[in-house]
Amino acid sequence: MPMTAEVFPEIGFFQRAATAFADCVPTDPADDGFFGPASVTWRLHTDLTAPVSGLRSLLLQALHPLAMAGVDQHSEWRDDPAGRFASTSAYVITTTYGDRAAARAAAARVRKIHEWVTGTDPVSGKPYEASDPALLIWVHAALVDSGLVAADRYGLRLSDADKDQYVAEMTAAAELVGVPPASFADGGAPASVAELDAYFDAVRPSLATSRSTADIATYLLNMPDVEPELADVWDVLARAAVASLPGWARSMYGFGDGGPAPGSVPPEREEVRQVLGVLDAVYLAEPGALEARQRLTLRMREAGQ
Amino acid sequence: MAGAAIEPDPDGQPGSTGGRSPGGKLNEPRLRVGRGLAAMRLAARGGARYAVNAPRLFAAAGERRQQLRDDLALRTAQDVADTLGTMKGVLMKIGQLASYVDDGIAPPARRILGRLQDSVPPMSPELAAGVIREELGATPEQIFKEWDPLPIAAASIGQVHRAITADGQAVAVKVQYPGIAETIAADLRNVALIKSLLKMAVPSQDVTALIEELRERIGEELDYLREAENQRQFAAYFDGHPTARVPKIIDELSTARVMTSELAAGARFSEMLGWSQREKDLAAETIYRFTFRSLYELRAFNGDPHPGNYLFEPGGRVTFLDFGLVKHFKPDELDPLIRMIETLCIQQDHEGFRRAMEEAGFLDPGAPIETDEVVRHMSLFYETIRERGPRTMTSEYASAVARRYVDFKSPLAAYAKIPRSYVIVQRINLGLFAVLGEMNATADWRGLSEEIWPFVQAPPSTPMGEAELPWLARARR
Repeated sequence: MPMTAEVFPEIGFFQRAATAFADCVPTDPADDGFFGPASVTWRLHTDLTAPVSGLRSLLLQALHPLAMAGVDQHSEWRDDPAGRFASTSAYVITTTYGDRAAARAAAARVRKIHEWVTGTDPVSGKPYEASDPALLIWVHAALVDSGLVAADRYGLRLSDADKDQYVAEMTAAAELVGVPPASFADGGAPASVAELDAYFDAVRPSLATSRSTADIATYLLNMPDVEPELADVWDVLARAAVASLPGWARSMYGFGDGGPAPGSVPPEREEVRQVLGVLDAVYLAEPGALEARQRLTLRMREAGQ
Repeated sequence: MAGAAIEPDPDGQPGSTGGRSPGGKLNEPRLRVGRGLAAMRLAARGGARYAVNAPRLFAAAGERRQQLRDDLALRTAQDVADTLGTMKGVLMKIGQLASYVDDGIAPPARRILGRLQDSVPPMSPELAAGVIREELGATPEQIFKEWDPLPIAAASIGQVHRAITADGQAVAVKVQYPGIAETIAADLRNVALIKSLLKMAVPSQDVTALIEELRERIGEELDYLREAENQRQFAAYFDGHPTARVPKIIDELSTARVMTSELAAGARFSEMLGWSQREKDLAAETIYRFTFRSLYELRAFNGDPHPGNYLFEPGGRVTFLDFGLVKHFKPDELDPLIRMIETLCIQQDHEGFRRAMEEAGFLDPGAPIETDEVVRHMSLFYETIRERGPRTMTSEYASAVARRYVDFKSPLAAYAKIPRSYVIVQRINLGLFAVLGEMNATADWRGLSEEIWPFVQAPPSTPMGEAELPWLARARR
């Protein structure tokens, strides 16, 4: 049997993300957690576009030098990128779908780890602390914005009211990890699309690229762990994520409008959805992933979604 | 086959509630159907003892399909598009296509494609009723005396409902997912992605040939009228056959997206495997006769020889289901295959066999290979029919044939290929060997073949052959 026979299971990325999903979607939750089956958050996070959203989110997050320095100096992403990605997925899944106790426990673990993540950004010479609310809001805002944008372009098209509702709901996630439970004006997380946009306008001067940024982008977009046969598939995903970035972020990276290469044409919605469907099929084949998806669907249906 | 048989007893006591009159017609269906429907549904959904027409499960052989999840049912055409569009419907078809060759599909891909089948829920009763309304012009309750709103099986890009017609006939109604044709058509236009997928799923196969086949098959399967036409043709040809049965199509209740046929009953393949070897041999003889009579007389090869496409009754009676894939041959396509058999098995003319292979396009003319080598390589495929006498089909033989089929290390590999019009024949052949091998069936296959081969037309070689005579006289007329 040729090497290609082993294509699918070698995608450590998807395998491990799927395992995290199967493990972190509760079977017998004590309560509906911080969002619940009737929330916009559940609707958006179960959308097919999650991989594009995740990729875009990471590309965006890497543009903050202090956030990037923290990841680079304290995590093992260069040695085990799939593992790093899976633990982030597990955290997001647990806080989204888990009951309150599970979400709080997961957040407490992350906050504990964050206590150790301090240092000095080698590029700017500035000190950083991962528990700094400013950094936590940056990571949070990138995640929330990416969920909205990826779905809007390639998947679920939320109404403006639902978009605002999503941003507002997600402040609960920000607070879990240590963002002050305050209004945006008083140092809390953005609670509407307008506040989210205002936040990005305000934070842009603090953003910069570095060698680490370039390294992580190269890794994410070229995905050396993917076999040649899947390279075309991954390429569509990468272009979809890049095309959905804000123009200023693409300029900072030196990307083209429709993908990493200058002059790229953005992929069509249809094409992106086809690729996402294939990846979803790969994902659902992992043990327990389909059942976890069905658990969520049933709870959402009961809640009238 | 006249009328339909219903055996709604989940414990498998034939006729305990359903019962057929000697003529094969339902007795007093009105009195029985209510209870019958409920019991039938339970039986079918629970243990899958019952098959109805075209219960082609998405899953390939050996893979268990999850029970139909009504609670997750697709409620709108948008649900259908989200679930089966985005390439997933096409992926499933790739899985089906690839499943004909034992060694052809990469195991991880097999797992993914198998799991994908499980991920497709049935349509909600309302959604299915909507398709009936659009296609037949009235609600299921208006059209049928009884309509089971819950499907009893998943079918190709649809699902099967059981119903009783206004005149009391028990039928299987195959209902297509709404909007699936458009969704799949859009996905099929992404040739680049489909090529990548085929390369991953069936690394040993010729992707260009497969992609054409995939398009054709999907096109055929989306059009139930075509399937109905095929089934009609087979039903007419085998009408009156002593052991082979094909459920009749109910014309007035069949459209492009709804296909209604007689409901059939019988034991599933797995259950039949527990019967006596004598019974299994008889069933195998029927399958063999059915397959090759169709090929030589109708010039049509039916469906895939998937164990799920047969229903068995004692005495070698087999009901054949699913005519979604029928390959029709032109005479000049069949002739080279016939010449290959004639030269190798009857005339033992090795050079003639080689020439026939070259004419059919299986072997490059002038390939630098000894003819004896060619014959040695190919004779495995003809092993069961080269000589008279009883032979037992085994799973080992079927696997050996499948391995030889995809053997790229053989000296022939560089010069051998399978012309596109024969790809399906080869696959179906392999599937047939696999089925007969699993049944451990013993017969004088050469004897049966001589009866069937149009260039021999030997007299009956078995009691079943004798019993076929009146039917054959009519069929040949």
